[in-house]
Amino acid sequence: MNILEAHNVTKNYAAHRALDDVSIEIPKQSIFGLLGPNGAGKTTLIRIINQIIMSDAGNITINGEKLEPKHIQVIGYLPEERGLYKKMKVGEQLMYLAQLKGLSNAEARKRIKHWLDRMGLSEWAGKKVEDLSKGMAQKIQFIATVLHEPELLILDEPFSGFDPVNANLIKDEIFELRDKGATVIFSTHRMESVEQLCDDIVLINKSKKILDGTKSEIKKSFKSGKYNVTYKGAMAGLSTNFDLVETKEIEDGMSESLIQAQGDHNPNDLIKELISRVEVHSFVEVIPSINDIFIQIVEGGES
Amino acid sequence: MTRVKKKSFLIATILTPLIFPALIAVVVYFGSRESGGPENVYVLDQSGFYDEQFTDESYNYTYLTGSLEDAKQQFQDEGAYGLLYIPEINFEDPSKTYYDEFEFYSKSNAGVNIESSFERQLRRVLEQVKLDRSGLDPDMINSLKANVDLNTFNLSDTGEVKESNSGLNLIVGYIFGFMIYMFIFIYGGQIMQSVLDEKTSRIVEVIVSSVRPFQLMMGKVLGIGSVGVTQLLIWVALVTSLTTVGFTFFGPPEAAAMAGSQMPAEAVELTATQESIANIQGMIDSVPVTQIVVSFIFYFLGAYFLYGAMYAAIGSAVDSLQDAQQFMFPIMIPLIVSIVALSIVIQNPDSQLSFWLSMVPFTSPVVMMGRIPFGVPMWELLLSMVLLVLGFIGMIWVAGRIYRVGILMYGVKVNWKTLKVWFTTKV
Repeated sequence: MNILEAHNVTKNYAAHRALDDVSIEIPKQSIFGLLGPNGAGKTTLIRIINQIIMSDAGNITINGEKLEPKHIQVIGYLPEERGLYKKMKVGEQLMYLAQLKGLSNAEARKRIKHWLDRMGLSEWAGKKVEDLSKGMAQKIQFIATVLHEPELLILDEPFSGFDPVNANLIKDEIFELRDKGATVIFSTHRMESVEQLCDDIVLINKSKKILDGTKSEIKKSFKSGKYNVTYKGAMAGLSTNFDLVETKEIEDGMSESLIQAQGDHNPNDLIKELISRVEVHSFVEVIPSINDIFIQIVEGGES
Repeated sequence: MTRVKKKSFLIATILTPLIFPALIAVVVYFGSRESGGPENVYVLDQSGFYDEQFTDESYNYTYLTGSLEDAKQQFQDEGAYGLLYIPEINFEDPSKTYYDEFEFYSKSNAGVNIESSFERQLRRVLEQVKLDRSGLDPDMINSLKANVDLNTFNLSDTGEVKESNSGLNLIVGYIFGFMIYMFIFIYGGQIMQSVLDEKTSRIVEVIVSSVRPFQLMMGKVLGIGSVGVTQLLIWVALVTSLTTVGFTFFGPPEAAAMAGSQMPAEAVELTATQESIANIQGMIDSVPVTQIVVSFIFYFLGAYFLYGAMYAAIGSAVDSLQDAQQFMFPIMIPLIVSIVALSIVIQNPDSQLSFWLSMVPFTSPVVMMGRIPFGVPMWELLLSMVLLVLGFIGMIWVAGRIYRVGILMYGVKVNWKTLKVWFTTKV
C-alpha cells in the first residue's frame, strides 16, 4: 500500500522546468529518501505535495485519494529553512501551529507538554524563541512538525543545525515515529544519513527522476562484481574469469588485492580459485555506498 | 496575535490616549500654579488712579508710595513676585491713545499671560478714566458696539432651505479625512512589517503548508485591521472620558477666573460666545451626521483594504525594509496627494478636482470624507463607493497573486517587472 503516489508531475517556472515528468511511489510506514543535488527540484516537489504550489501537470494521491486541502492535516512539514516567530513564547507558538493543523486546544496542550518533556525543554515553554539556542529552536520546530501526529512526515534536511548528540536524538525519534505507523519523506543531499535511515530512495537530478527503488536493490544493481581480499602468499595465475585490478603490500607479510569478476561469476567461484593459491584472511564484496552511487550518477549526468 | 501580546502594544494602547489629557492636565496644573499661587506684587502708583483698582485674585497687591528706587529696593529685599510701576499719566491730551510709560519688574521673565493680564487691567482703568473725562454716557458707548453672525443656508434645487455651516463642515471633513489617512499610514506599515517578519523568519513556509497564502494574507490584513480599530476605539473612548473628567476638575474654575477678569471690557464678546454655543446644536443638526458616520465607516474600511493589500504585497515581495522603500513611494503618492488635496477640496467641495479625486479609489476615501459634510449628490457617493469596492477587490486579487509567489522567494532582486512576472505566474 502506498501512502503517496505522484504520477508524471511537471512544474514549470518562468524560465525553467523545475520538475519534468516525475513519478514516485512511497510505501506506507517507510522512510523514503528524496535525494538530489541542490537545485534538482526536491523542494519544488515537496511544496507541491504540501499544496503550497500547484503542479502544471500530473496528479498526486494520498492513500489513494486525490490530493486535497483536507490532506494538510495528514502531513507534517519541516522546511529546510527553519523559522519561528521570534517574539512569541515557545508554548504559545506550538499551540498556534497545532491549532492551524486543526488540533483542539486541550489536545494540543497535552501533546505539547508531552513533547517538551520528552525533548527536555519543559522549562523553556514560557520563554521567547529568540532566547533559545539554535539547537533548541530546531527541536521546537521538530515538535511543531510532529505535534498533530501526521501520517506523512516531510523532513527537508532535518539534521542541519544539530550537533551529533541531538542529531541522534532526532534520528531515534524518526525511527520511533516510523514504528508507530508514520511514513517519512526525507529530503537531503547528505548521503551518510540516507545510508542509516532510508528504506527506499528516489534520486532527482536536473528536474528528472534518475533512479528509484529500495536501498538494497539499488545498491545491488550498482555493485560491479569487485572483491577485496587480504591474504598471505603470492597471487598468481588467476583464471580469465577474474582480473587482478590492483595489489598492495600491507603489514605482516600480508597483501590486499582488488579483484574484478568477469561475467556472472559469483563469489564462491572466486573463493575456490583463491583457496588453492593463497591463505585468505578476509574476503569482502565491494558494495558501493549511496554516496558513491550519487556521485557516479550526478557526475555521469554532467558529462 | 503576537502583536497584541507585545508589551509595547499594551503600553501604546493605554498610554497614547493618556498623553493627551495628561498634557492638558500638566498645562492646566502649571498654569494654575503660575496664576493661582497668591504671589505678592507691589504696585507703585504715582498717577493716583490705580489705588485699590487691581482686583485680580491671582496676586496679593501691596500699594507702595515713594520713589521708584525705594520700591525697587523693597522689592529686592522682601522677595515679592513683581513690581508694577505706574508713573504720572497725562490725561490732558484727549488724542493720546498710546501709553507706554508703565513698567513691570520681576525676578524671572514675566510670561505673556501675566503681561497681558496687567495690560488688560491697566487699560480698563485708563479707559474708564478717559470715559469719565469725556462726559459720554457709558451705556451709550455699549449700545454703539455691534456684533455680527452671518447665517448661511444651502438652497437645494427643490427649493428646500437648509442651514449650513462651512466652518464646522470644514473641521468635520478634515478630521475624518485625516483619520483615514493616519490609520492607513500606521496600520498599513504594520501589515507590511508583519508580512516581512514572517518571511524573513522563514516561518511562512510552515504556515502556508497549513493555510492557503491568500487566507494568510487576508488574515493578516483583517487581524491587524481589527487590532487597529479596537485600538482606535479605546483611544476615542479614553480621550473622551479623560478629557471630560479633566475639564470637570480643572476647566470650569479656570474659565470662570478668566471670565471674571475679563468681564467688564469684553462682556460683549463673551455674550457673543454664549450665543454661538447656543448655535452649536443648530449647526450639528445642519451636518448630515448619519451619512457622515456611515460613509466614514465604509470609506475607512475600503481604504484600509485597498492600501492594506498593497502593503501586504510589498512586504511579501522584498527581503528587507530597505528594499521596500522603492515600492513604498508609489503607494504613498496617492495618499499624500489626497491629504494635500483634502485641504483644497474642503475649500471648494464641488470643483472638478474634488469630483475626480473623490471617484478614483486611491484618493476617494480621504477626499470624499472632506466633501460629505458639505453635501454630496447621492449618485456621486454611490458611484464612488462602487468604484472603491471594485478597487479594493481588484487590489486584493492582484496583491494575493504577488503575495503567494513573493513570500517563498528569497534573494531575488525585485523590481516592477519581477512583480509583473509573479503576478502572471501560475502557482
